[in-house]
Amino acid sequence: MSFLSLIVKNPFRNRTRAVLAILGISIGIATIVALGMITDGLTSSTQTTLSNGTAEITVTAKGSNAFSATGGTLSESYATSLLNITGVNGTAGILRGITPAAGTVNGLEVNGINSSQTNLEGISITNGTNFVDGTNQVILGKSIAPILNKSVGSTISLFGKEFTVVGIYDSGNIVTDSLAFTSLTTLQNLTNAQGKLTIVAVKIDSNANATQIANAITNAYPTELDTTTATQQANLMDKSMSGINTASAAISVLAIVIGGIGIINVMIMSVFERTREIGVLKAVGWKSSDILIMILGESIILTLVAAVVGILLGYIGSEGLLAFFSSTGSVIKPVFSLDIVIRAFVIALVVGIIGGIYPAYRASRLPPTEALRYE
Amino acid sequence: MNNNIIDIHGLKKSFDKGRVKALNGVDLQIKEGEFISIMGPSGSGKSTLLNMIGAFDRADEGTIKVAGIDLMTTKSLDQFRSQKIGFVFQLHNLIPNLSVLENVEIPMLRTKANNKEMDQRAMELLELMNFSNLQDMVKQNPTRLSGGERQRVAIARALVNHPSIILADEPTGALDSKTTQMILDLLKDIHEKENVTLVMVTHEPDVGAQADRTVYVMDGKVK
Ligand SMILES: Nc1ncnc2c1ncn2[C@@H]1O[C@H](COP(=O)(O)OP(=O)(O)OP(=O)(O)O)[C@@H](O)[C@H]1O
Ligand SMILES: [Mg+2]
Repeated sequence: MSFLSLIVKNPFRNRTRAVLAILGISIGIATIVALGMITDGLTSSTQTTLSNGTAEITVTAKGSNAFSATGGTLSESYATSLLNITGVNGTAGILRGITPAAGTVNGLEVNGINSSQTNLEGISITNGTNFVDGTNQVILGKSIAPILNKSVGSTISLFGKEFTVVGIYDSGNIVTDSLAFTSLTTLQNLTNAQGKLTIVAVKIDSNANATQIANAITNAYPTELDTTTATQQANLMDKSMSGINTASAAISVLAIVIGGIGIINVMIMSVFERTREIGVLKAVGWKSSDILIMILGESIILTLVAAVVGILLGYIGSEGLLAFFSSTGSVIKPVFSLDIVIRAFVIALVVGIIGGIYPAYRASRLPPTEALRYE
Repeated sequence: MNNNIIDIHGLKKSFDKGRVKALNGVDLQIKEGEFISIMGPSGSGKSTLLNMIGAFDRADEGTIKVAGIDLMTTKSLDQFRSQKIGFVFQLHNLIPNLSVLENVEIPMLRTKANNKEMDQRAMELLELMNFSNLQDMVKQNPTRLSGGERQRVAIARALVNHPSIILADEPTGALDSKTTQMILDLLKDIHEKENVTLVMVTHEPDVGAQADRTVYVMDGKVK
């Protein structure tokens, strides 16, 4: 027998307690793994690759922004009058409408735009063709199409009318890829919003500054219009991501603390029960440091086993969450990486050391006589 | 200058901040290779004296030299215990989840011995312990053994590091008279064959009488 095999054997002497301890810690690790996978998935899916030709400024009615604007709140005339502002290269009027759709929770957001201007939203058709203006044709973002369970050639009911899916597109932006685009005039007629828009997408000259032009627009229409630049949009995304990251870090810390308290408890009980045995080990010549290493090692063994169990539970758990969300309209895919595995093991090791150090120290300091008198 | 393996003068030890004077000036010399029994009333300090010899604890006052080592001043008492002392307790104190063989190896675990050496030495000692079904038994857990069998395993464990002195605190206190004599014979056998010094605490007069010499302890002093 070796010292190491004794350390590996000892924690499983009391099976029930070992299983409960491992379960307790592994739930903490699983939480960390699942949250890590989901936030990593979120981060990677919100990273926007801006394609050339995408509009840099989104103009909305006063009091709203690119994310919040809905309905026919702007007159169609802005699409032409904004062209008069220096540095504006092109505009596209867009009307947003929400319609219930099977597979989504909050409905599908349909955007009406002239088919020649879809490039201003970064849209490039990956499958099929673009829609034809004035018809009941629709194109779907690559993220929403599988959720709606539609592909090129499918029919879909929007605002009570039958539409044909003629194309699937990729925009490099998670928000845009979760939308549907159709003819502006078709959508205006269907939603009783003739002559109305929700936003005007503004493309600027290649050498112009988006912030300056955005200011020029709000200066020209101070009571009527607001603007959101692409940079502002990205910042808003980052802000919500950092909020999510903070929340997930806080939950992780809590999970570690609970796991740590659990392991301290288990190890103190184990040392207490083995007081006599520890006395015997000292009586036969073991050093205090041998006892310290043994108890600390046992604690680390428990947490490392818990790490393996926790990684499995976390992986299954986040896949389960994904399954749950995708049936209700999410486009996030959890990302499982080596980084997360390493993180889980390091956390387990730290919990094992922190949880084991105090019981191990107490055990190592037991005088052999006290330990042997102990009944 | 003398051949005393244990040399104790004026040894004092108290507990509970001086309220309990367990040893109150003990003088005791034991020659190398002697078999000594220690007797005396309950609470007289027999176990405390044995614990001092085994360096399980430090005395408050006096001098104590064991196997040439001054236990009042030596720092590494664990090394002394590991190399010089084999201890047999009243209760066997075997570790329940380890096999009989592994239990005997426990004192060797933190020495330089490798697995093979450990197995060899442990088997060698267990063979001395007169087990009838040794091969089956070594792999079993000690929980399945009788009291006498467990005590024999504990004796093997005490011998594994080739100690100069065996300290036994009522090793037969929990056994019937027949088993008692068997354990005693084993201890005497080892004492003779290996020339090990044997110091044994006992309550039983016929057990104590089998030693070369009996030391009586009363109120923390040797009479
Ligand atoms: N660690 C300790 N803490 C406090 N008191 C102790 C301790 N060890 C021994 N004592 C006390 O010291 C005295 C001597 O105890 P010791 O165990 O040496 O007696 P003993 O002769 O072995 O008795 P017995 O025959 O019952 O085993 C007793 O009064 C005991 O209560
Ligand atoms: Mg005693």
